[in-house]
Amino acid sequence: MKKKLVGFFSILVSLSLVLAGCAAPGASTSETIKIGLQAPLTGDFAAEGQWAQQSVEVAAELLNKKGGVLGKQIEIVVVDDASNPKDSALAAQKVIAQGLQQVIASYGSSVTAPAADLYDANKVVSVGYGCTAVRLTMDKQRPYFFRTAGRDDTQSEFFVKFATETLGAKRIAIMHDNQDYGKGVADDAMKFMQPKIDAGEVEIVYFDAITPGESDYSTVVSQIKSLNPDVWFYTAYYSEAALLLKQARDAGVTSIFVGNNSVPTPEFEKIAGVAAIKDSIHLNEPMPQFLAYPESKEFLDAYKAKYNELPGSIWAVYAADALNALAAAITKAGSTDPDQVTSAMRSMTDAKGITGPLLFTDRGDRKDIPYYAYVYNDQGVLELYSK
Amino acid sequence: MDMLLEQLINGLAIGSFYALVAIGYSMVYGVMKLINFAHGDLFTLGSYLGYTLLVVGSGWITSTFGVWGGVVVAVLGAMLGAGAAGLLLERVAYSPVYKAGRLPLVVSALGASIFISNGIMAVWGPRFQAYPVESIPTGSIMLFGDIRITTLKLVTILVSLALMAIIYFVVERTLFGSAVRASALDREAATIMGIDFRKIILFVFFVGPALGGLAGVFAGLNYNRIIFNLGWGYGLKAFTAVILGGIGNIPGAMLGGLLLGMMEALFEGFVSGAWKNVFVFVILIVILIVRPTGIIGEKIAEKV
Repeated sequence: MKKKLVGFFSILVSLSLVLAGCAAPGASTSETIKIGLQAPLTGDFAAEGQWAQQSVEVAAELLNKKGGVLGKQIEIVVVDDASNPKDSALAAQKVIAQGLQQVIASYGSSVTAPAADLYDANKVVSVGYGCTAVRLTMDKQRPYFFRTAGRDDTQSEFFVKFATETLGAKRIAIMHDNQDYGKGVADDAMKFMQPKIDAGEVEIVYFDAITPGESDYSTVVSQIKSLNPDVWFYTAYYSEAALLLKQARDAGVTSIFVGNNSVPTPEFEKIAGVAAIKDSIHLNEPMPQFLAYPESKEFLDAYKAKYNELPGSIWAVYAADALNALAAAITKAGSTDPDQVTSAMRSMTDAKGITGPLLFTDRGDRKDIPYYAYVYNDQGVLELYSK
Repeated sequence: MDMLLEQLINGLAIGSFYALVAIGYSMVYGVMKLINFAHGDLFTLGSYLGYTLLVVGSGWITSTFGVWGGVVVAVLGAMLGAGAAGLLLERVAYSPVYKAGRLPLVVSALGASIFISNGIMAVWGPRFQAYPVESIPTGSIMLFGDIRITTLKLVTILVSLALMAIIYFVVERTLFGSAVRASALDREAATIMGIDFRKIILFVFFVGPALGGLAGVFAGLNYNRIIFNLGWGYGLKAFTAVILGGIGNIPGAMLGGLLLGMMEALFEGFVSGAWKNVFVFVILIVILIVRPTGIIGEKIAEKV
């Protein structure tokens, strides 16, 4: 008898759970569309998390002012992933338990990966904003995962385009330091350069490594001087870059120096000195202050009006664009249904974001990701490169 | 041909740093049979002392003595400081354990090395420091037609060669020098012959680190970037140079240093930068197989 009663109650409980579950989609017919934001509000990257939250909220206010999405206001639900993979999974479960169907997540590739798996398994559309590891989209297909940030090999692809088309270089030197990051960028640059090499448009006159941690690079500098390439791309860290550039300019090397996104730092400027860094070009993610689309101006003005400063990093702006991408996809799909939203994400053609057009590949990577070249002016200050 | 000449000059510059540091290693080994692992860190200390002198007294030193005067002040200050640190090191870390045998001595040297480099990190911080731009001499001159070399680098090479010549003269041609060499050969016999071993130790532990300190300041001036573990790389290469030239032999250390620098430059310039260190150490192994005592190392009678 007792057993029967327990059985009855358990059926009752599960029934009510099912009913509660049914209520979740019902929520989307109410006043607001809830979109999750998973961000590192505590932990090592707490500043990034705060910037991301502020940016997303500003973007949501702008959207709501224009009438929201599908005639409804957007409501942002924030969860903290504490900048680590373990808390990231917990944060993702929190989002899933609330029945949200779209989420912006997250900062850091290793933090994003476990959350992306959970979202994918539960059919929640997630859009990353601060995760650039190639493996996130290329190792396995996660149908519900997208990202507004570029990939680690984006800059190599950009370099090839920039050096050959913008600078018109024919003879190129690529130098790395035989370490993970620098060699990766250099190898990717060679990969993207290969078609142009085969077509005879470009010649790689130098592809070799220096030994990091040394002080005297005069030997390679002499080599670069005698080869005299049009463009000299250094793909590793700032401290060797500073020594190389200074010693090269002292020796009279006039080739255009191009550094990667880890080079332009205060230390680089201090070690190499203004005279040496002048006119050197550095590839980097867009910096918030240099964004020049009408949408960026609107966003940055609103952000500044509210917080009296600009977003501290580009990743926060990518988070805001993740919201814009989701809003555009929901509008296009005419619904918040995850399957319809993902197919809308993949087929959008005219969605405009703060950081440029919001277009995605089948794997969920952003198409035509904006990447910029910056140049040091006579005072040793970074400016946007223009020919 | 020009390229060859240019790379040889590059190698000479790199090699003179190795040689200056190598002399200190070799002197100490000769007299105490001790590999002074802390020597590279005294080099770092010298470069930080020069940096501090130039930063603290930057306006005053440069305006009173001129840019080159500032260099002289920094170099002399660093030489004195590093030399004094060398003497202190011997008193504190080596003298008390000398009688305990060679192994405790080596452990003590390793400890001293870690102590000094961490001390430098604690005082000046773990980040890169840059020598102040206004106290670095600028300008460059053309050699042999079209090889451009900075004046500072040329001065560095000439000063190093001159100092090596002086050390060579003192050690090989003076009475005091023969006392140093005699102590290196057989300490007890030398003491019986009336040589004051304490004096020899003082000489060795002052001059070696002072030369290292000088090299440290020149490294800072030439390359403008110093960090607390700067001496580790130089120490390793200088030690290689010592083995190459013949350990305990001072002219051997100079030759080994210059040779190592030039081999590096030629290999990196004409074959491959990525494989440079592989090549250098293969050469070292080959030389040790053919001549275990180094290029001009003499056979030293084994102690029984």
